[in-house]
Amino acid sequence: MSLFGSTSGFGTGGTSMFGSTTADNHNPMKDIEVTSPPDDSISCLAFSPPTLPGNFLIAGSWANDVRCWEVQDNGQTIPKAQQMHTGPVLDGCWSDDGSKVFTASCDKTAKMWDLNSNQAIQIAQHDAPVKTIHWIKAPNYSCVMTGSWDKTLKFWDTRSPTPMMTLQLPERCYCADVVHPMAAVATAERGLIVYQLENQPSEFRRIESPLKHQHRCVAIFKDKVNKPTGFALGSIEGRVAIHYINPPNPAKDNFTFKCHRSNGTNTSAPQDIYAVNGIAFHPVHGTLATVGSDGRFSFWDKDARTKLKTSEQLDQPISACCFNHNGNIFAYASSYDWSKGHEFYNPQKKNYIFLRNAAEELKPRNKK
Amino acid sequence: MLMVTQAGDFPRLLPGARMPAQIRLPARRKGRRKARRCRELRGTAAALLLRLSPCGGRRQRPFWRLRGWAVAKGLRGTSGGGGGWGTTSQRYTNVIQPSAFKSNTWGGSRDHGRGFFGSSGSSPRNADFSQNRFSALMNSQNIADGYKDEEERLLESVVKDMEIWKSSGQWIFSCYSPTKEKPNISGFHDISPEELRLEYFNCRANNTVQNYVNSVQQLVKQWKNRLVQLKSSNASTKAALLSELKNTVSQPLPSFGFGGQQTSSFGSSNFPVNSSSNSASNFSFKISSSLVSASSGNTPAFGSSSAGCNPAFGVTSSPSVSHSVGFGSLVAPSAGSFSLKASETTNGFGTSAFSGFGSSAAVNTSSTTPLTNVGASNVAVAASPSHSSSTVFGQTASASGHNITSASSAVTSNATSGKLFTPMSELSAEELKQFEAKKFTMGKIPLKPPPLELLQI
Repeated sequence: MSLFGSTSGFGTGGTSMFGSTTADNHNPMKDIEVTSPPDDSISCLAFSPPTLPGNFLIAGSWANDVRCWEVQDNGQTIPKAQQMHTGPVLDGCWSDDGSKVFTASCDKTAKMWDLNSNQAIQIAQHDAPVKTIHWIKAPNYSCVMTGSWDKTLKFWDTRSPTPMMTLQLPERCYCADVVHPMAAVATAERGLIVYQLENQPSEFRRIESPLKHQHRCVAIFKDKVNKPTGFALGSIEGRVAIHYINPPNPAKDNFTFKCHRSNGTNTSAPQDIYAVNGIAFHPVHGTLATVGSDGRFSFWDKDARTKLKTSEQLDQPISACCFNHNGNIFAYASSYDWSKGHEFYNPQKKNYIFLRNAAEELKPRNKK
Repeated sequence: MLMVTQAGDFPRLLPGARMPAQIRLPARRKGRRKARRCRELRGTAAALLLRLSPCGGRRQRPFWRLRGWAVAKGLRGTSGGGGGWGTTSQRYTNVIQPSAFKSNTWGGSRDHGRGFFGSSGSSPRNADFSQNRFSALMNSQNIADGYKDEEERLLESVVKDMEIWKSSGQWIFSCYSPTKEKPNISGFHDISPEELRLEYFNCRANNTVQNYVNSVQQLVKQWKNRLVQLKSSNASTKAALLSELKNTVSQPLPSFGFGGQQTSSFGSSNFPVNSSSNSASNFSFKISSSLVSASSGNTPAFGSSSAGCNPAFGVTSSPSVSHSVGFGSLVAPSAGSFSLKASETTNGFGTSAFSGFGSSAAVNTSSTTPLTNVGASNVAVAASPSHSSSTVFGQTASASGHNITSASSAVTSNATSGKLFTPMSELSAEELKQFEAKKFTMGKIPLKPPPLELLQI
């Protein structure tokens, strides 16, 4: 609660908070703005793991860069370093010890960025843009998993130019998540595959998509004993499916819910339906946050099957989100996600990353 | 006569048998009468039957009906200015915002609105059950009609979905399937916003933005055409759609796949690329001409632009064969991959009252693996299409739609209408387990009559 101090002192060192500008709706939630945000749309956000003291945030963007900030307890964000790719960065993640950042880019490579030396080297190669990158830390091995639009999932020992393993995907990889020992990959054409990562990665199950339209984002959740037990899958059609891998009663336990739709009141006027751009689970409470093209974020309790909160509407879509390791900070990025095509793309429009105190708002509805 | 030997035993209500007078339920009664009937029945054997039926009486309500929640109010805070949460949301925060539409306006048939995505998980079948629980048991005619209804519902839901898609402003370059067990409907293919955006960036770098714009317009037009086609009640479209949905032959993806890797300057030699792009010279937005009703001039138009706009999507466009294999493996359990739910290729839903099947056994074609372990949970399975081996299913309208349990064993019929017992060989392992168990498990009650061998008289 005292993470960001009192309401007054959000020194953001640089750009000041827009307290009460005229018609500016870029920060209706009055959250902390991260300084020196990227110059183009933000594609991914990731906080440092608990092994690193403090909180560090990385963001990849369509300006071909990945930036790193230190987020201090009083809310101040200090830009630390930046690395470039030769194409837009689509995904990024941290190693488990917090010393390296892995980035995946449209330039068909993935890089490993050593933060101490501020050097980045290429560690992966695909035939098409690399859409997802995750660090896998298993008891008997560690590697980087990259998913690409070339329909492969590759696993890399960072020291070798050849992958340790290549798994074929039915279609282009659109999103993935890893919580050891489970990995979930959603592909184009409604493909959905779960992998198990013990000993070595292998395909565990192909799952029929619970959604009718294109998959957009996926996030694995854990059960009460901290084991991954299922995932949440979001689509472009304003809907999220909660899917358990081995539920006692699949018909009842798995469900979908609608989100990120305009106020379709009870009139017969059609709703506006927006894509779900990101899903993140609170590391402590197990509740989830979704961000959408409508420029809102929502918090949900999947066990109570209720919505906890919905934000005000930002003037841009929210393209990415994440929680920090202890769940105190919720970061979300406000930038154009191409949901309306190139006509609505304004390169001059500023992109933002906002930080919000998430300790209280994501408490589950029913205390068990 | 209705006999119940033990609590929980499946009462021997055999097709053609008459129900005892006090529980003779007229078909298709709704409303209070039914409720009253239900109350009367409580405690009787038939009530037991009711409770055992897959929809479990009326207890499972879709989650958006919890706590009397009826209508979505705007959750946006109307109390403008403050950066906090709208106060009106407080009242409704205990329920996930439900669909704003009543089920009859959203998603076609009533079951779609309530059954498909609801937590009850019950499929479109649920509605059928609620109308006439005993239809499956009593009357084969009803079943045939039930199939027709299923088809109708599917078509309706497709039409509704198309309408919504058009009006909602959602992303249009997306695949689509009417229900989760069905394959994707042809004519819609996935392009993610990132892929499109990358294409734009590349074109911008090469100064060929106009190409991009034209390509996108083409794609939009094709999407609209397909949408209109599906919305129309054209008989041939419907037939094509239905056959598509039943056959799990996955549509070969058009050689559309975003360019290939013609100038992959990234040392891709290391990597076994199994499907190197044949269509390297084709620009990424080429759509297979089979899908384009109007314009067939796609290919040449885009072929020329490949020089300019270097398609950097880089998705290797595999030849359609490999695509369908890859895609098919999602849909059909082929050797080595298995899906959680019963896939569409399961067929031969044995229900007791089937008649008129061709006498050929083994409807399962080679690609089907009877998913015995999965069947249990599949009360929710909607119409699982029958395989295209029409020799067996030719007589009945469509074998799909009545897949209560995803029994994948073939049904060989006697010439007589209605069977009293199912041969052991025809039961799936799941059904067998159910019959052999002491009690039926909710949601897993087989619809076939029990095998003679297991009856203990």
